[in-house]
Parts: sequence; structure tokens; C-alpha cells
Amino acid sequence: MGPNLWANIDEVAAVILFGIGFTTLLLHKNMIKKIIGLNIMDTAVYLFLAAMGYVDNRLAPIVENGVTDVDAYINPIPSGLVLTGIVVSVSVTALMLSLTIRLYRKYHSLDLDEILIRMQKEELT
Amino acid sequence: MNLARNFVENFPCFSIVLCMVAGILSTPIKGNHAKRITLLVVILVTCMSAATFLYVVSTGTSFVYTMGKYPAPWGNEIRAGVLETMLATVFSLVMLFSLLGGMDHVFKDIPEEKINLYFILVDLLLSSLLAIIYTNDLFTGYVFVEINTIAACGMIMIRKIGRSLVAATRYMVMSLIGSGLFLIGLAMLYDITGHLLMENAHLVMNQLVQEGKYSVPLLVIISFITVGLAIKSGLYPFHSWMPDAYGYSTVSSSSILSSLVSKSYIILLIKIFYRVIGFDNIVNSKIVDVLFVFGLAGMVMGSVGAIMAKDIYRMIAFSSVAQIGYVYMGIGLETEAGMVAAIFHILTHAITKSLLFLAAKGLNNVSGRKRVFYALQGSAFRNPLAGVAFLVGSLSMVGIPMLSGFISKLLFATAALGAAREKVLITLIVLAVSTILNAIYFLHTVVRIYTPVHVPEEFKNVHVRVSKGAALAVFSLICMNFILGLLSQPITDLIQVGIAMFA
Amino acid sequence: MTAMYLFLAAMLLPMLSGLFLLFFQGKLKNRTLKCILIFLVMALTAGLTVRLMCFEDYQLVLWHLTDKLDILVRMDNMTRLFAGMTVTAWTLGGVFAFEYMKHEEKEDRYFGFYLIVMGVLIGLDHAGNLITLYLFFELMTLSSLPLVLHTLTHDAVMAGLKYLFYSVAGAFLALFGIFYLYAHGAGLPFCEGGYLMVLDAYSGSGKMTLLVLMLMIVGFGTKAGMFPLHGWLPTAHPVAPAPASAVLSGIITKSGVLAIIRVVFYTVGADVLRGSWVQYTWMTLALITVFMGSMMAYKEQVLKKRLAYSTVSQVSYILFGLSVLNQDGMVGALSHFVFHSVVKDCLFLVAGVIIYKTGKKTVKELTGIGKEMPITMWCFTLVSITLVGIPPTSGFISKWYLAEGSLQTGIGGYAWFGPVVLLLSAMLTAGYLLPISIQSFFPGEGYHYQELRKKEPNLLMLIPMLLFTAAAVVFGMFPGRFLGFLQMTAADVIR
Repeated sequence: MGPNLWANIDEVAAVILFGIGFTTLLLHKNMIKKIIGLNIMDTAVYLFLAAMGYVDNRLAPIVENGVTDVDAYINPIPSGLVLTGIVVSVSVTALMLSLTIRLYRKYHSLDLDEILIRMQKEELT
Repeated sequence: MNLARNFVENFPCFSIVLCMVAGILSTPIKGNHAKRITLLVVILVTCMSAATFLYVVSTGTSFVYTMGKYPAPWGNEIRAGVLETMLATVFSLVMLFSLLGGMDHVFKDIPEEKINLYFILVDLLLSSLLAIIYTNDLFTGYVFVEINTIAACGMIMIRKIGRSLVAATRYMVMSLIGSGLFLIGLAMLYDITGHLLMENAHLVMNQLVQEGKYSVPLLVIISFITVGLAIKSGLYPFHSWMPDAYGYSTVSSSSILSSLVSKSYIILLIKIFYRVIGFDNIVNSKIVDVLFVFGLAGMVMGSVGAIMAKDIYRMIAFSSVAQIGYVYMGIGLETEAGMVAAIFHILTHAITKSLLFLAAKGLNNVSGRKRVFYALQGSAFRNPLAGVAFLVGSLSMVGIPMLSGFISKLLFATAALGAAREKVLITLIVLAVSTILNAIYFLHTVVRIYTPVHVPEEFKNVHVRVSKGAALAVFSLICMNFILGLLSQPITDLIQVGIAMFA
Repeated sequence: MTAMYLFLAAMLLPMLSGLFLLFFQGKLKNRTLKCILIFLVMALTAGLTVRLMCFEDYQLVLWHLTDKLDILVRMDNMTRLFAGMTVTAWTLGGVFAFEYMKHEEKEDRYFGFYLIVMGVLIGLDHAGNLITLYLFFELMTLSSLPLVLHTLTHDAVMAGLKYLFYSVAGAFLALFGIFYLYAHGAGLPFCEGGYLMVLDAYSGSGKMTLLVLMLMIVGFGTKAGMFPLHGWLPTAHPVAPAPASAVLSGIITKSGVLAIIRVVFYTVGADVLRGSWVQYTWMTLALITVFMGSMMAYKEQVLKKRLAYSTVSQVSYILFGLSVLNQDGMVGALSHFVFHSVVKDCLFLVAGVIIYKTGKKTVKELTGIGKEMPITMWCFTLVSITLVGIPPTSGFISKWYLAEGSLQTGIGGYAWFGPVVLLLSAMLTAGYLLPISIQSFFPGEGYHYQELRKKEPNLLMLIPMLLFTAAAVVFGMFPGRFLGFLQMTAADVIR
């Protein structure tokens, strides 16, 4: 297992980061930390994909000097996936941030539990 | 885009693109015009989906449509068969009626400068629903799942009241957790099989399973994908966002969210089960047993939550939790009959839940916008259309013959009796218990709205003028319910044909 | 074909008229005209039903729900019996209500739902398979609910909800059984004697079949007020207006009986249950209910509630007669069905008259009332004697057959235990009904003869009561042809 682990260290690190991001998103109360966790989680997956697509000693998949031989470049699909994923991640982060701003303006807190309490108090009055 | 053999084959692609273009075009336009564009688009999509449906039924096979110049396995594809087109037609119809029914409230609840944004979100949502239904490529599925989530969240938070914001936040957090799991599952799947298109991935999968390689990663992948999508669709115990999200958004949103959005994830899951992983592998991995158990738990806990709810929206939202539990139970039975029952229930639930939300809003309106049961007493007399709608919806949920809910229950019970030995008894018992619980809270509410015992003074002489659009929407949904209830045999047969084509 | 149209007419005419009445509440100002129209609807429906009964036995598909399930309509002797009783009692109850409802509000709503239930019951009586039966069963619960809720007092609403929940729970227990039987091929139409489903045919799930049958009996028995799911009856029947209580006790409870008959004798076959634990349990539950109902009635002071407990007890006589699974028992059960319906309708109508004319609700207040309304109390007395089972009234005949049936079962203790319980219950029945009569005619000391005024109700209320009483007595004296009909029915069904 040891050598395998070392050979795939990028993927292992990606999964560990994924776990960290996932737990942060799930368990933290602070909205900003949740968003950071979300980003860590998504970025970890991109790391996973990118590491997967990488082949030693090859170039990024943009045709250079007219070399069109497939063996000169790394697998281009994961790169494409990562680019798409980044777009998605940015959109979602933007949405979450705007929600956080709105919540902050209304309830003056970034803590989700605190917001719930203030919301319920507001309802009662 | 290539010119398909037959013009009709272009329709799925057209539908998706049309919705997106409509969304983009609506950006500079004012609310009223945006509304008209959206309604037009939804009607067009319905017609196109219906035409494709008839076409596919007549040819008897599904067709694959290449998006872009590159063929498989490098390009992107969508695939349309009987099941996909039927779902697309029904979903677009339900979306149309939800919009029509809730139109007045869209204009009341949402600030004027944002109304066109709402319709843009609706267009986006429709395009992502269609894409999820038709897609043949895994990553495209992921992207549209995210678009779905964003659009749905937008539709909740566009109302500026505090509760909507909190509800939207909780919804987003849960959804993103699900998406994250789904994404990493997909990444690992790509890692192992090297393909993103579903059929190609399936071939490699079969090979790997035969050779016995990568069995642990396969299990992990299946678990991640299943749990991710299950969280997004609101399987118990991941349902806590539902009552708030459905209760505090505008009525069209609640209706569309509960009927369509949750179901789209389930459909994607079923697709992945059949087309990528292969149903036998799924059964062997025992992941369906997990879905089965959580489905059963959802059926009971959802109903219990509904009984304890104090206001009508929470009650209906918890009922949704229970109904999604039914669908997962059907999937978890591991038989074809169970899958047919689950898909039929998706259709039934889409129609009935929309109807219930529209009705509840109507009743709510004539009770001083209060949603607690105390205020709703006798409201069926103040708003007869909403009362009848709620009555029909409840009877369908309870399972009176001639309505669609009865056929659902019949299909589930028959499927349960044909399932694996250990599952038969527990399924029947939970089915019976949850049906009784269902009947309790729905019929109790029906009695409440029809018995003006202690009507608060201020509501006594309230009358409401129901707009034509809302009346049409409610009436059509009731008709669809009866059609599913009375003419279910051809539909069930078609679902079976569709599932056979699915694989 | 004509049978189909006649049936649809007979079922839809009252339902549509009822709906019409509900939508146009309060629009028809001329009360006499309205009552005449309602009477015409009921009479026409009765006529159509009777005309239907003259056809030869038939079975017709109304609608194909799925490939294997149809909505099916049927005519056989059982249908004739139940449908005939339903339309007669309903029409007479309706006539009574014309006068009684002057005392209550919102009579349009009452008559609207009254007519709807009439249509639903006709559908129920003609049901040709379990799914159709279930459909009409549920519709019946839902449409009779507003009759219970009519006065909209807090008690009425609570009682209505209790009725609803018990009925729905019972119906779902039965539905469970229906699905089970359906999966084993029983979406099939009813057939005399059942399909003799041999237990082995279910590949080792014979125990399951018996359990399912027990659940169905208990589930449908809820509607008939059988222990243990009888709790709704004493609460719901008294709280409804008197003519509604009459038909609730008299006819609607019997629909549960009809459902059990159809399941046991027309779908599964009596031989499946004979000698099994299901039969023992059924007999025991029925006897417990018989005894318990009579005991509770004896202690109860509110008149309508006393009559409701009496219903609980008497309907279980019918269930007991069915549970012995032989021809005499069935004849006893079916004849008791008719006689009890007639008697209980009359008793509730009398209670209604008393409330209408004097407002008195408890038994203690009824001293000397016989002097004020002699005809009414004579009706009460005669039908009470019938219910107790004293010859030559009709009640005696049904009790005789029930006892015969019980003695023939050959099941150990039950052979003699049954008649003993029936006898005890008869004594209790006498105890809770006859003293009322006696007190009303002979009030004894302390009665103020000076305040005596004739409070006889008018013809609209008198005629139904008299007709019921006459039926109770006449059937007792000339039972021949009726019994012959019942014996033929029973013979078809039990070998």
C-alpha cells in the first residue's frame, strides 16, 4: 500500500482536502467559513481531476510549434472538466456570498444559529 | 449541430437551447413581457416534447443526438426515449400550470424590478430540468445539476423576507454537500473508466466488474454518487431544508421545487443506475438496500412530521418528504415492477403536489394570509375553487380509487409482493402505516377547511376573485390527476417500455 | 345494455341531484316544492332500483381501471336484498326528515348529502368486485361524514373526526387485504361460493392468507361496529340529526356487513375459513360485541346513545350469524339485517319525534310520554318487542335461525355458548327497551295529568314510523316467501 500511496500522493491529498472542505461546509456555523469549506471541497476535486490527467514530462494541451502528436500532451479532458467546474464553483460561491451579505444586512450576524434565533424573535414580535 | 434523420429528433436540443436563449433575452426586458416570453417558451417546450414523445413511441426505439461535430466517445450526446420524453412532457405541463396558478402571487410577492429575474430563473430551471432528463454525458449532468440548484435557490431567495433567505441558505448548504459528493464520485468514475459518455463508461464498467478489478473503488463511487443525489432530492434524513424552503417561497416556486426539482435528481440517479453502472451491479453493491431503508424511514417520519405540523405549508412539505420516501422505497425493491411504481409515483406526485400548493395558497389568501390551521377553518367556503382543489389533491394522496394516488399505491403494493422475501412484509406494513397516517392529516385538514366552526370574525365576509389563469391551472391539474387515475394502464405500459429502452 | 343505463341512472340521479342541491343552497325558496322534488328524486331512484332488480342476474364492466382491474357492477340476490332495503329505508327516512329538518338549520346541505349517499350506497350494493366495493365504501364514508357533522357544534365535529378516522383505518386494513388478494389473482368478479381458494395455492403462504382475511373482517367490521373498532359508533350516531342517525344505524353499518359477506362468501369461499382460528376469532369478537353492546345500552341514559349501543350489539348478531358459516346462520343473519334495519330506523325516528316535539333526550324524562303521543309510543313498543325477539314478531324468526345456525357449527363450546349469549342479550334488550315503553304509558305517581297535551307528530313523521312498524310485525306473521328467498340465497353461497 505504501508505494501505491506515494505514487498517487496527489489524489490522496485531494481526497483529504475534500474531506476537510466537506466537513467545514457541513459543520461550521459561520457562513464565511462554510463558503471557504465549499471552495476547498470543490478545489480538491479539481486537484483530483488535474492530477489524474497529468502525464509526466508532457505539455499542456495547447498546440505548440505545430506539434499535433497526441503523445506530446497531457490528457486534455480533465483540464476541460476543471475549467467548467471552476465556472460552476465561482457561480455558486457568488450566490452564497450574496446570500450571506443579505443575511448580514438583515440580522447583523454571520453565525447561522444566531441568525435563526434572531429570525424567530423577529417573527414573534 | 447535425441535421437529424428526422426533424423531430432536433426537438430535445431545441427545447434546451430555446429556454436558455429566452432566459438571456429576458434580461433587459420588463416583468410583464418576460412573463409572456416564459409562458410562450414553456408551451413550446411542452408541444415539442409531446411531439418527440409521439415520435419515439411510433418508432419504438430511443435515438441518440450528437451535440456538436464530434461523435462518441469524444463528443457530447443527448438521448431521448419513451421515458425521457414522457417525463419531459409531464414536467413542462406541470411547470406551465404551476406558473399560471401562482402568477398573481409572483407579481405580489416579488419586488417589481426583480420580476424579470424571476422569469429568467424559471427559464434556466426548465432548461436544466430538460438537460438532466435527456443527457447522455455524466459531466453535463453535473453541470446542469448545479444550474438547477442555483436557479432553484434563486427562486426561493427572490422574495426578500428574512425567512426566505434563511431557507435559501439552508437549502444551498445541503444541496452543495450533495453536489460535492456527486462530483467527486463522478471524478473517480472518470478516473477508472476513462469515459464520460454513459454507454462507453458502462462498457468499461462491465469489463472491470468481470475482471474483478477495482471492486472497492466501484463501491465507493456508487456510494458517493447515490448519497450525493439522495441528499439533493431530500431523502430522509436529509430533508430538513424542505419545510422552510417550500413554505416561504412564492407559490409557483414551492410548487415547481417540490414537484419537479427534487424529482430531477432521482431521475438522474435512476439513469446512472441503469445506463452507467448497470442494475445488477447496483443490486450486488447493496446500496439499494440503504436507499430502501431510508425510504421506509422517510415514509413514516415524513407522515409523523406532517401530523405534528401546525401550519398547512409545513404539513404539505413533510408530506413531500414522505412521498419521496415512497419513490426510494420503490427503487429499493430492486425489481422492475418497483421501478415502474417509483416512476409512476414521480408523475403522480408532481401533479398532485402542485395542486396542493396552489390550493393551500388559495385558502391562505382568504384567511388573512395566515397559514395556521386555526385561521383556515371554513376557508373552503370562502374560496371554493381552492377547496375543491385541496379536496381532490388530498383524496389522491389518501388513495381513493379513480384518482392517481390509488394506482400508485396499487403498483407499490403489487411490486412489494413480488420483491425479495425479506422485503415483502416490512414494505407492506410500512405502506399500510404510512397510508393511514397520510389519511389522518389530509382528511383532518379537509374537514377543517370545510367546517366553519369558529371562524375568526375578520374573515367572515372575505371573498376572492380567482384569476382565469389560476382557475385554468387548477382545473387542468385536477384533470391530469383523473387521467392518471382512470387511464393508468397505457401509461404504466409505456413506462415499462421506457425503462427497457433506458438501459 | 339497458341494465347498465338503468344502473347509471339509479346511481347518478340522486348523486347529481344532491350536488345540485348543494350548489344551489338556499336558492329554492318554496319549501314545499323543494320537498316534493326531493321526494320525487328518491321515489324515482327507488323505482329504477326495483326495475333493475327484476332483471336476471348480470355482471357488467363500467370502466377498465387497469388491465387486470375493472369497475364492475353486478346483480344477484344479495344485491336485491341490500339495494331494496337501502332505497326503502332511505325514502322513508327522507320523508321523515322533511318535517324534522324544520327544527334544524341548513337543511339543503343535509338533503344534498343525504341524496349523494343514497347514490353511493346504490353503487356499493351493486359492486361486482372488491375494488369497486372499496371505491364506494370510501366514498360512502366521505359523503356521510357531513351528515354526522351537520350541527357543527364542537361535539359534532369531534364525533365526525372520530368517525372519519375509525372508518378510514378500517377501510385501509381492508385495502391491505384487497391488494394481497389482488396480487394472488383476485381482481376477479364476485362469484357465489367464492373461488374456493385452496390455501396451498399460495405457495406456503396459507397463514398469510388467513391473517389477511382476519384483517379484512376486522377492517370492514369497523363500519359494522364490531369490537374492537366500534368506538366511533356510540359517539357519532347520536350526534347526527335523528333521521340521519336512523339511516346511519340502519343502513350504513350494514354496508360493512355486505363487504364482509362479499369477501368471505363471494371471493374467498366459506370453506377456507371453516374451522380456522379466523372463524373462532370472528365468532368470539361478534359475541363479545353482542354482549358488551347490550350491557352498555342497559346502563346508558341518553336515549339516542342507548339506541346506538343497541346497534353495536344487534349488528354483531348479524356478524355472528355469518361467522358460523352455515345456511341457517346466514338466513338468520340476513333476516336480522332486514328486521334490525326496520326496527332501528323506527326507534331512531321515534327518538327524533320526541326531541322534535318535546326536546327531551334522556330516558328519565320520558315518563308519561305515551299519554301525549300514543301512536308514536305504540310503534316504539311494537318494534321493541320485535327486537327482543318475542313471537310472533319478526325478531323471533331471525333469532331462531341464528340459534339454529350456532347449534349446527359443531365447534366445541360455541355450539351452545352462542345461543346462551344471544339469550342473555335478548334479556338485556328487553331491559333497555321495554321499561321505556312501560314508563311512558304508565307514569305512576307524581305525573301531572293536568298538563297533558296531545303532541302527536304530523303525518309526514307518522307514516314512515307506521310503515316500519307494520313491516316489523307483518314479516313476523307471514315470513314464508321472504324466508324462502333468503334460504335460496344462502344455499347458493354456502354448500
